[in-house]
Amino acid sequence: MPYGEPHPEDPHELRGVTVPGDAESMREMAYTFAEEFAALGFDQERLLRIFRLPGYAGAHRAYRALGEIEIQRIVRESLEFWGRCRIVVREPAPEQGSGDLIQIGSRSAGRSSGSED
Amino acid sequence: MPKVNNWQLGREMSYPYEARFPERQFAFVFNINRCIACQSCTMACKSTWTFSKGQEHMWWANVETKPYGGYPQSWDVKILRKLDEANPDGQYWEGKNSDKTFGPYGEFKGKTIFEAAETRFEPESSRVLGYLPSDEEWNSPNIYEDNPLGKPGVKNQLDQKGTELPAHDVWFFYLARICNHCSYPGCLAACPRKAIYKRPEDGIVLIDQKECRGYRKCVEACPYKKSIYRGNTRVSEKCIGCYPRVEGKDPESGGVPMETRCMAACIGQIRLQGLAQLNEDGTWAEDRQNPLYYLVHEAKVALPLYPQLGTQPNGYYIPPRWVPHAYLEQMFGPGVGRAVERSKHPDRELLCVLQLFRRDNRIIFRYEIEEGPKIYEGSYRGRDVTLYNDTVIAFGHDGRELFRTTVEEPLYVRSNVHANSI
Repeated sequence: MPYGEPHPEDPHELRGVTVPGDAESMREMAYTFAEEFAALGFDQERLLRIFRLPGYAGAHRAYRALGEIEIQRIVRESLEFWGRCRIVVREPAPEQGSGDLIQIGSRSAGRSSGSED
Repeated sequence: MPKVNNWQLGREMSYPYEARFPERQFAFVFNINRCIACQSCTMACKSTWTFSKGQEHMWWANVETKPYGGYPQSWDVKILRKLDEANPDGQYWEGKNSDKTFGPYGEFKGKTIFEAAETRFEPESSRVLGYLPSDEEWNSPNIYEDNPLGKPGVKNQLDQKGTELPAHDVWFFYLARICNHCSYPGCLAACPRKAIYKRPEDGIVLIDQKECRGYRKCVEACPYKKSIYRGNTRVSEKCIGCYPRVEGKDPESGGVPMETRCMAACIGQIRLQGLAQLNEDGTWAEDRQNPLYYLVHEAKVALPLYPQLGTQPNGYYIPPRWVPHAYLEQMFGPGVGRAVERSKHPDRELLCVLQLFRRDNRIIFRYEIEEGPKIYEGSYRGRDVTLYNDTVIAFGHDGRELFRTTVEEPLYVRSNVHANSI
């Protein structure tokens, strides 16, 4: 956006434009984040943390718009289906003699998904 | 101009050079539905490649808030407007979505940035329709993206308490971007010194720093504005696709092809990068068990960014499910409806492939699925759903297994002697 007021004759100056909207899109966005991360193996506590932390701006915007109770309901509903399983990532055992060749991070042979936060 | 095949547009188009294709093509898929704008990718790139003097304004990887944001500011609005001016009311698609690998979204009837340059009154040297962003547009990424301007009636002043700024209330999403390492790069087409080239082994687009004289034709021509001028060296620079990692020469890689820094740093697990095999005509060769091929050409949930610009970008996006389709179709083409529907209700295979994102930093060349038993059947948000205990296995460049994901909870039996250990 420009620093100054837009000049009506300047074709290069971006002015406010309308975009199509839907009042339910915020709720749909909250469902999408909840479903995507639940499918990656996040539990209720970690999912709610994504919504509560202001650093995760998109999810937090939905949290502020819809409120704690509605977000909790959405998270619970998503987990009702997606939370039935817990994703586990396993790496094959290192081959003989190749143990010192590849060392990526500090991953163990079996690990839960999405442990970055 | 010579004619080249553009499979994304479903037709031939003009391009200043004859088509040449690499052995494999650097490509990536970003799942926008998972992007929460943490900017980890942005900072991973910044701290690796653009932390030096003169690069302050350079963000080879960035995340911008749509629909209002852009880096440089309004980059997409401006190029779309210029195309519309060059071909009023002529920028539209025809035909239907299909399962073909050539023209899967129908046929684009409008003009690309190369074709529009032919019809406009431009200097003869201009081979590409573009524009040069101002310094102001480069120097404040993300400004005003999540919040409108300052308080009403107060000119030229940001709100002193940023937290009290009103936020957009309708919809928005985060668009993570890097160079698309296009098959028909605008930057390459425009360079008068032929200093820009695609690497024959992986299609990564590079600027030869010794040949570049800083004419900024590439900055003007790249519609995605990912070629950026550096004032203190007086040459242009761009995303290099972290090619030492892709080559397996990064110290961390141990000789194995690895994904780029921005991919590896992704907290939201939205990113998957790989190398696509190409046919002689530039279309993707069938590689059914490659996750990128599956997402782009089988499931067709991943779509190119602004394909109508004509550069055949190699960055693909799973579109956000909550955004009006009219906007998404302008950004990702007519394949949006199909892609959103499929990502909203993923089938068994798609669910497995989506589990491959960010499970490892090594490039996945192939996957296999071991089908497991049904573990749940019921309804979710008014639709019948079934969940299976499937396992997806990822393989690297040498065919060796990288990892496997399963939905089984591992069972650890604690020792009687050391009860607190596993």
